[in-house]
Amino acid sequence: MKQLKHISIVVALACAGTAHGQGSQPIRVGVVTPLSGTYAGIGQQVKWGLDLAAKEINDAGGVMGRKLELIYEDEEANPAVATQKAEKLFQVNKVDFLTGTVNSGSTLAVGQVAERNQRLIATTVSFADSITGDKCSPNVFRVNARAGMQSAALAEWLSKEKPNANVFYLGPDYEMGRSTVAAFKAAAEGKGARTVGEIFAPLDNKDYSPYLGQIRAARPTVFYTSVAGNDTVRLFTQLSEFGLDRNLQIVGASGTVTSQNLPAIGKAAEGFVTGVGYSPLIDSPENKKFVAAFQAAYKALPDLYGADSYGVLYFYKAAVEKAKSTDTDKVRAAMRDLEWSTPQGVKKMRAGDHQAMQDMYVVRVTDGQFRIVGKVPAAAAIGPDTCTKF
Amino acid sequence: MTEFLNWLQFVLSPQMINGLSIGVAVILMALGLTIIFGLLDVINMAHGEFYALGAYVAVALLGLGLPFWWALALVPLAMLLVGYATERLLIQRVFDSKDRHTLTLLLTLGFGIVLEDVLKIFFGANPLRVETPVAGATEVVGLFFPNYRLFLMLFGGALIAAVWLIVFRTRLGAIVRAAAFDRHMAGSLGVPVARVYALTFAFGVALAGLSGVLLAPIYSVFPTMGRDFVLMAFSVVIVGGMGSIKGAVIAGLLLTQIQSISSLYISPVWSDPLLFGIMVLVLMWRPQGLFGRLGHA
Repeated sequence: MKQLKHISIVVALACAGTAHGQGSQPIRVGVVTPLSGTYAGIGQQVKWGLDLAAKEINDAGGVMGRKLELIYEDEEANPAVATQKAEKLFQVNKVDFLTGTVNSGSTLAVGQVAERNQRLIATTVSFADSITGDKCSPNVFRVNARAGMQSAALAEWLSKEKPNANVFYLGPDYEMGRSTVAAFKAAAEGKGARTVGEIFAPLDNKDYSPYLGQIRAARPTVFYTSVAGNDTVRLFTQLSEFGLDRNLQIVGASGTVTSQNLPAIGKAAEGFVTGVGYSPLIDSPENKKFVAAFQAAYKALPDLYGADSYGVLYFYKAAVEKAKSTDTDKVRAAMRDLEWSTPQGVKKMRAGDHQAMQDMYVVRVTDGQFRIVGKVPAAAAIGPDTCTKF
Repeated sequence: MTEFLNWLQFVLSPQMINGLSIGVAVILMALGLTIIFGLLDVINMAHGEFYALGAYVAVALLGLGLPFWWALALVPLAMLLVGYATERLLIQRVFDSKDRHTLTLLLTLGFGIVLEDVLKIFFGANPLRVETPVAGATEVVGLFFPNYRLFLMLFGGALIAAVWLIVFRTRLGAIVRAAAFDRHMAGSLGVPVARVYALTFAFGVALAGLSGVLLAPIYSVFPTMGRDFVLMAFSVVIVGGMGSIKGAVIAGLLLTQIQSISSLYISPVWSDPLLFGIMVLVLMWRPQGLFGRLGHA
């Protein structure tokens, strides 16, 4: 039955293809991203980046003479909703490719939908190492830097700036928080840092002041956190109100402080250091052109999510042009080991686990801007390929 | 030795002072609950929602452009009206019934659920941020404290003292205590018992609303904000003795200190189970709580 359904879709597509002529029919790209709810700010950057890239590509003649058409669906950062919306995009809208998922759980779930529908997806945001690690899928690609790469870059910087530091860890108490803390702890201890304490607070925690006692008692020189969104606003404000941020280097995950929550944190974010795959201040002609176009279009700076979402359409374009087809198997083969140009420079898609390799940056918040204070080459940051499924 | 003194000054004392600032707010909540129980024999299950309502009324007043201090003064007045109306229109209907305990418990529980959903409809489910009215921090012997938490401690402490004075040192308080001790005797001596009941209920509700405003800048405002906090206030009331004012104050201080000092050694996530564990132990060995009931001690 399922086979029949697929055949009928292929027939329908073939008819549509002949009716419109191969050249004029657009390539449809589905976007399942949070446009409402907690992660709406991230979804906004994803949409801006994709819209800008699609416009540029279409203005320059499209992909193999065909226009790109983006079809958006709101996933509300909820894996259950994301799978429904992805199923709809594959079955009803007949999209050729899908991107936009933010929550790591959504990416993993939508990856399975893609496998069933024999299409490809790429995430531009999700951090969890498992997506291109033990839960990797032949139909899922990741163009952004994963948690392990961010930790590697940050640990490298830490070992130079604060050798043998005493580090205290505070993460949100769920999959992302536990895995980011574990990843950075391993990387930092490997470079000589000592762990003096570790604590996890519930997501959406209202008051961090009871947690501060253990930080005071441990007397760390470095404080690592991977909380995000409004949790960061409360944590940083309270650290500063209680004077704990003095003589303490605060570092964290790349999603902890972003252009989105930086205004609300204000001065308390000064001096924060993180390892990240992007900064609007990267000094390259490609990035300057991208930032100027982004600002002109949306009156806002791109962050890592905007930049990687912009880059993913160029990734797809390069793959389709190399494959000379939108056929799933041909495009997948073309994507493996593909090198393409992004605002961050040339990225390479590692064939073994579908994880993009890129240079990693260490950025510090100075005067409300993410200034680059270090750089780790792609080969040093990528880490081993642990995917065994293909 | 210096190591220990250092620990005392920089680790233990800030944690205890922080516990005190939360303790003061919890006591204000618990006082309202315990007074209502001590006098009316009603367990007010909607107390947490009155706390949330107080915070939302403050948000609405701030939205009109009024400064925080006006909200702090106006919210208790508004909550007095809400409390008075609730007692007259809802509680009084079932007060003289034989199943008073069950009926008032269910009534206030249901009213709380309705109130929470009404807040959700009007203000949405997302947390609203209330700016701290006194920004900055003060340095005291090498320790930093946010000014607002210092203010909370002083203001809350003064309020608790005022409640104490009103109940135990004024004629009004004597009437309330007399009505709690023997409602029929007080009535036959000319005390307007029904009105005393309604006003006392309103007073307890106003205290809940006031704690809502006071904690809004720290915890931010959301429809379910009352739930966790009222559980804490209930444990304080149970440990201190249902209906005892002294018990609420002492148990409030004790439990919040246990909570903050234990947070130095175990994750603060465990402070709630710890608190309820203590409550269960008290219920097992001293079910009447540490102190006696209002009007009886």
